[in-house]
Amino acid sequence: MMKASSIFGLRPRLGPFEQLVLEKLWAYGSATVRELLADGAIHQAYTTVSTTLDRLYKKGLLERVAEGKAFRYTPRHTPEELQRVTTLDSIRQLLESGVPSSLPLSHLVEAISIHDAQLLDELQLLVERKCCELRDQKKIREKS
Amino acid sequence: MFALRGIAVSLSCFVLLYCLLSALVATAWRPLKPLHVAQQSVAAILFALRTLPLIASVVITFALVVPSFRLLEPRSIKGGMAMPVALGVCALLLIAYSCFRVVTAQTRTTRLVTRWLEGARPLKASTDSTVTFHSRPGTPPITLVGVRNPRVLVSETTVALLSDDELHIALKHELEHMKSRDNLKKLIFCFCPFPGMAKLESAWSQAAELAADDAAVSNQGDAVDLAAALVKLSRLVPVEAAPVCSMGFVADSLSQRVARLLAWDEASKSRRVRIRAWFVVPFAIAASLLVSIAYSPVLALTHEVTEWLVR
Repeated sequence: MMKASSIFGLRPRLGPFEQLVLEKLWAYGSATVRELLADGAIHQAYTTVSTTLDRLYKKGLLERVAEGKAFRYTPRHTPEELQRVTTLDSIRQLLESGVPSSLPLSHLVEAISIHDAQLLDELQLLVERKCCELRDQKKIREKS
Repeated sequence: MFALRGIAVSLSCFVLLYCLLSALVATAWRPLKPLHVAQQSVAAILFALRTLPLIASVVITFALVVPSFRLLEPRSIKGGMAMPVALGVCALLLIAYSCFRVVTAQTRTTRLVTRWLEGARPLKASTDSTVTFHSRPGTPPITLVGVRNPRVLVSETTVALLSDDELHIALKHELEHMKSRDNLKKLIFCFCPFPGMAKLESAWSQAAELAADDAAVSNQGDAVDLAAALVKLSRLVPVEAAPVCSMGFVADSLSQRVARLLAWDEASKSRRVRIRAWFVVPFAIAASLLVSIAYSPVLALTHEVTEWLVR
């Protein structure tokens, strides 16, 4: 699983403890405050963890459902989805800033190219299929 | 004094018309997707729309404002110069800014191209001597650069990565940009600055890419080769941003371009209407006739408007 700290653009938005809690939630799938504390990796008071989860919920990163007197928290995005959202957000911010220099734009192209690798794979597959189709048609024509 | 007044009034009218028409074009234009016309025509219409404010304001100023002032303005009138002079200064500033943008774009392009061409050799795969390839890392895979002496630059990585057919069709695509003088058109955009025109320019750029694709491709094999070249070259990341007077091979709307190329067929190409330049001739003749018949009243009306401006 991808570490939250490695997520492009996420650092300025989340503090180290928020990142740790989010990582734990990704590992569990969903959890209550007690379940997170029972893991032993988080050495903080109940209220601290509860407040952090509430803050992450208010940032739109978690969903929660009432479970008795407490809440069960579930991450709203997978690490990959969050990476995409934060990257797009960063790009949008950069574009809206109207930076005149060409340097950030070239980095932007780099970022877009890296994150569009999946799209390029899909397009390449389509092209290869079409190539095969054309080759088959040519063979049929030659035979007939 | 009369001449100075005439120049100030003419410049004022020019700047007012330019701003008014630019604002109108920037807000009223719409993407031409619903129209069933060829991409060459879409690009031409968008280019005409983008340059309309400049051309129309220059034509109206020289055809109506200047003659109406010379013929109808009494030479003895004095005063009322503040507004025309202020607007005239604005017009001069606008012209100076436009010139500055053009010179800057040209200088930057020349500087970058000179750097990219260091150690470049003619490309053997191409029959056209204007095509060269360059080896400097971090340059675009294939790009058409320059206005007066346009050249297609191809990186060594591109030559290594593409098959002969793919390289041939990619070069053909760039040569189509050269035939359409797309770099000159980009430079003309620099000469008519106005806020809010970015979307129109981007739509033109996209249409120009599609038009070059259409013109380069003549059969299904070409279309698939061009799509394959596009996908392969999209994986190469340029380190430097492209200069203004250049048309890169890999541009925006990659998915759309690849999808169009894969769905290419002769019938769909011939079905699209291509608006030829001579379509405009009857309208131009009708407009000229109308203006020549009603020239005197139009001049009088123009003079009234300029009078209002002077007051």
